[in-house]
Amino acid sequence: MSEKPSIEEYLTNIQEGKFRAYRCADCGMVIAPPSGSCYSCGSSSMEWAEVSGKGKLVTFTVIHIAPDEYAEETPYIIAIVELDEGTRVTARLLGFDPLKPEDVKLGTPLKLDYEKGKSGKTYLAFSPE
Amino acid sequence: MFWLSLHLEKGVLKLPLKNTNIVSAAHTKFGKLDGVTQREMFSEAVDKATIEAGVPKKDIQAAFIGSFIPEMLVHQGHIAPLLLDFSGLKGIPATRHEDACASGAVALRAGIMAIESGMYDTVLVGGVEKMTSTSTPEVTEALAAAADDQFESSIGLTFPGVFALAAVAHMAKYGTTEEDMARVSVKAHKNASTYPLAQFQKPITLEKALNPLVIAWPLKIFDCSPISDGAAALVLTSNEKAKQYTDLPVKIIGSGQASASMNLSDRPELTSFNASVNASRAAYKMAGMTAKDMDFAVVHDCFTIAEIIASEDIGFFKPGEGAKALEDGVTALDGDRPINPMGGLKAVGHPVGATGVKQAVVTYRELIGDAGPNQVPNHTSAVVHNFGGSGATCVVTIMRRGDA
Repeated sequence: MSEKPSIEEYLTNIQEGKFRAYRCADCGMVIAPPSGSCYSCGSSSMEWAEVSGKGKLVTFTVIHIAPDEYAEETPYIIAIVELDEGTRVTARLLGFDPLKPEDVKLGTPLKLDYEKGKSGKTYLAFSPE
Repeated sequence: MFWLSLHLEKGVLKLPLKNTNIVSAAHTKFGKLDGVTQREMFSEAVDKATIEAGVPKKDIQAAFIGSFIPEMLVHQGHIAPLLLDFSGLKGIPATRHEDACASGAVALRAGIMAIESGMYDTVLVGGVEKMTSTSTPEVTEALAAAADDQFESSIGLTFPGVFALAAVAHMAKYGTTEEDMARVSVKAHKNASTYPLAQFQKPITLEKALNPLVIAWPLKIFDCSPISDGAAALVLTSNEKAKQYTDLPVKIIGSGQASASMNLSDRPELTSFNASVNASRAAYKMAGMTAKDMDFAVVHDCFTIAEIIASEDIGFFKPGEGAKALEDGVTALDGDRPINPMGGLKAVGHPVGATGVKQAVVTYRELIGDAGPNQVPNHTSAVVHNFGGSGATCVVTIMRRGDA
């Protein structure tokens, strides 16, 4: 856990279903997506952080019109999720009908998940606990 | 004594911007301008703001040009000297400025600093974007460059999607509705119906504005500004030079710029854009004024929700009260606090790099009383809000009629 984290590895971890966040080595703040400096204390010293994978839904949207790469996947839900560790990430939201957005409630408890997209990429995702 | 100390505190007696005047300002028709290239549009805007306005081109000492992604849209970089060459301004310093959709206003800020520093006394500020010669999917992909490519765009978040995320948060916190957002669109189309340079000149009903073609729920087709071509230009001068060109210049008395995290997920607030709040505060402070002193506002309504949030962020209304003010007609052309009296990005069009300059152009025309059927009744001071990307950049400019 002591090696210096990199964006390349952060993205590879997601592709392999092994999401890890950054943590400020000086003040302990958990940060994701990666930042070169800590939002809390300004330190540039980062390490990897395992996360609980638990969080809650902050906001979401349903993408109906997407660039070519994702067009076959529409409609799909994109959410901002606040992890129990405090940081917020943008991810796909699974387990809801994209055509019934009114059924999606902000604050819903979520757990870490992954989605293998038709684009061939694996997306960071969350689904209801 | 108390009065004096209050004013000293507000900085009235030593305001930083003392010397910047807009003496002419113009923009081309916005829309799908088939057969007109980027350099031709730019040249047209320059001619309107110079020779047609009585400002000889030989008087222009430097140019500051906003443009977002000409490399992707028309395969052309290094556009500033190219545009000046075609426009009869070859030889003078030419620089292009880019901060996504705020490119125009950051170019304007560079022009303001050039005048205030005393380095030049007459400069041109321009903005341009040629978007419709590229296919819509290509434009969509190019525009996504204004969001974080590695952490947002790469999971399929689109640009309308970013504003939809803010809209859902605003709806949940304040009870804002899809109908509220549609009213922004109705107002924009109504105002633009009498503005000949607008892309759309037809009023629309609330029912039409609620057309259920969803782009990124809850944003629908009429919540989104269009893909447009267009160019805008204005001439800034020192106080001394201004007299040569006009009896009624418009003074720029405040300019604020702020940045924020690119990723929406990294922002503490989703129902307000903190760069807008910070840029507004800086601009009002520089002008020694407050939002209450502004007669009207021109704000960046790239999406309908953006106008509602901007009306709160610039201090016209308290957080959560923007939609109510809109519904009550407060922000209508004939309301107490008009917003986007010419029709905004939504109906006038949004050629990205031109937008920030176009906003200054229409504000200039309102302030000098030359807005025809779109004239706001009170036109002494105004605030102009230009936004980059999903709000990682915001520029706010305070303008005041020269004889006020």
